[in-house]
Amino acid sequence: MLRRGLGNVNRYLLVFAIAVSLNFFLPRLMPGNPLALIAGVDVGLMTAAERAELIEQVGLDQPLLAQFLDYWKSVLTFDLGYSYRSGRPISEMISERLPWTLLITVGSLMMASVVGIVLGGISAWRRGKKSDLGLLSGMISLQSLPSFWLGMLLISVFAVQLGWFPSFGAETPASPYEGWDRVEDILRHAFLPIVTLTILSIPGAYLTMRYAMLEVLGSDFIRTARSKGASERRVLFGHVARNAIAPVLTFLAIRFAFAFGGSVIIETVFSYPGLGRLIFESVSGRDYPVMQAAFLVFTVAVLVANLFADMMYPIIDPRMRVR
Amino acid sequence: MTADSSALPGDVRPGGRRKRRLPTLANRLGILGGVMVASLVFMAIFAPWLAPYDPTERVGLPFQPPSSEHWLGTNDVGQDLLSELIYGSRVSLTVGIVAAVVALILGTTVGVLAGYYPKRLGRILMQSVDVILILPFLPLLIVLAAYLGRSLLNTIIVIGILIWAAPSRIIRSQVLSLRSREYVLASKTMGASDRWAIVRHVLPRTALLATGSFVRAVSTAILIEAALSFLGLGDPLQKSWGSILFWAQARGAFLTPAWKWWVLPPGLMIMLASLGFALIAFAMEERINPRL
Repeated sequence: MLRRGLGNVNRYLLVFAIAVSLNFFLPRLMPGNPLALIAGVDVGLMTAAERAELIEQVGLDQPLLAQFLDYWKSVLTFDLGYSYRSGRPISEMISERLPWTLLITVGSLMMASVVGIVLGGISAWRRGKKSDLGLLSGMISLQSLPSFWLGMLLISVFAVQLGWFPSFGAETPASPYEGWDRVEDILRHAFLPIVTLTILSIPGAYLTMRYAMLEVLGSDFIRTARSKGASERRVLFGHVARNAIAPVLTFLAIRFAFAFGGSVIIETVFSYPGLGRLIFESVSGRDYPVMQAAFLVFTVAVLVANLFADMMYPIIDPRMRVR
Repeated sequence: MTADSSALPGDVRPGGRRKRRLPTLANRLGILGGVMVASLVFMAIFAPWLAPYDPTERVGLPFQPPSSEHWLGTNDVGQDLLSELIYGSRVSLTVGIVAAVVALILGTTVGVLAGYYPKRLGRILMQSVDVILILPFLPLLIVLAAYLGRSLLNTIIVIGILIWAAPSRIIRSQVLSLRSREYVLASKTMGASDRWAIVRHVLPRTALLATGSFVRAVSTAILIEAALSFLGLGDPLQKSWGSILFWAQARGAFLTPAWKWWVLPPGLMIMLASLGFALIAFAMEERINPRL
């Protein structure tokens, strides 16, 4: 188990190194002025002196290897630099955005896993019956739903037409609320983004649970349980569901990575001030340092989620401890 | 009448009913998907004849609701939304199919090589597949698209190089089991080269699996293209369904009654296109590996 975990840690370190290298080399290898791509400024509008100063500041006058080592040093010391556009430290921009993204991704993931596990369980239990086939076809259709479109429709119907929820932001501007009222205000703003992400995450959880259950249903110990006279209820909850849930939980870690990345689109639609919206804003504003830093934070979050799943797996499924 | 149908010999097998209903569902869904894809291909090919206007021309007042002249109204600069919708099928299908071809070539090459040479080469290749699968997908997509610049070709490249990893894994495991089959071993003992064994024995038997993952890749690529265009990272000169929604978002159409004719139809088309290919892929996968 320990070896397995360590093997994965090596892989995650490799992924991290590749993400950092991508960040470093992409703007330097692309056609065009690397200064514009690295600093995200209009080079044409600057005077020669300003440009020279910036080149020195960014380190473009150094040899490539020295630049590369410098870049690594700044990444490892969490020195993310500052945005040349807004003049603010990037770490500050990210830390005020990150909690919002975590709120909607974790919230939606918990809802989606409950719904997906229940529906997937029902579906597998009634394999081949009308309700199973109907659910399955419905889930396949949901997978083709464009995320941003779903968000736009929910805004049109529930925020604009019915007026039940706010259509943008994470809080009422210049929030007058305090205490519980503020919590309620935040939840009202988060509701539609969470629902959108939940609907998008349900099919994955459902399909994983259904296949895992079908596999368990076909195994010997279920036949044993039935033949010794256990009630259907006991077979379902005591034997089948318990064994099917482990793969679903690992899947959820992967899904977290996906939902976290998917926040780019959802937060753009809902003008939600999270990390995804930050990466979108930095791309449209050509604020490349911010875009790069946000990409690294996304990578780290995904790796942490995977590591967490690796650690949870043997706890949930004791069979994994022996291997 | 009822006696007629029940008199047909060999039609009803006792106990066969439940088993036979499952494959027919997959087949029916597959046919449904085929019809959806065929009608979209028809629409894309005959767009100039089907569309009432040139989608790049200003043919009316801006922000018009649906009327007899403009069935789906006009956009913010007075272009006909129905014509944009019809022409949009060209971008979606082109990007979807070409990006899937790129992914198919990359995925099959890597999958076959990694499966046939599982030791050193295979391990290195699978490491890189794992890396691509772990990296956060959408942020990576956006970073690549932002640096490469906005054009149809770049959209295809970015999508193609990001979606080949998952199919290559499936193909690898198939090749892994094929390479130790008797006929492959037999041809090798008779002095056949690796190249011959791969081309003659391995590739033909992975073709069905590869086609299945190709169709699924088209479905994925269509959704990704729409998302990229929606974020404003698609080709600015092309009218795609995603870019219609980009402008609908930029002009706040979804905050007005215009959402019914400006936001609803393009999204439905994206879903139809992606779902059509997904259903075909589902039917094919059921045939290869029944999981229903």
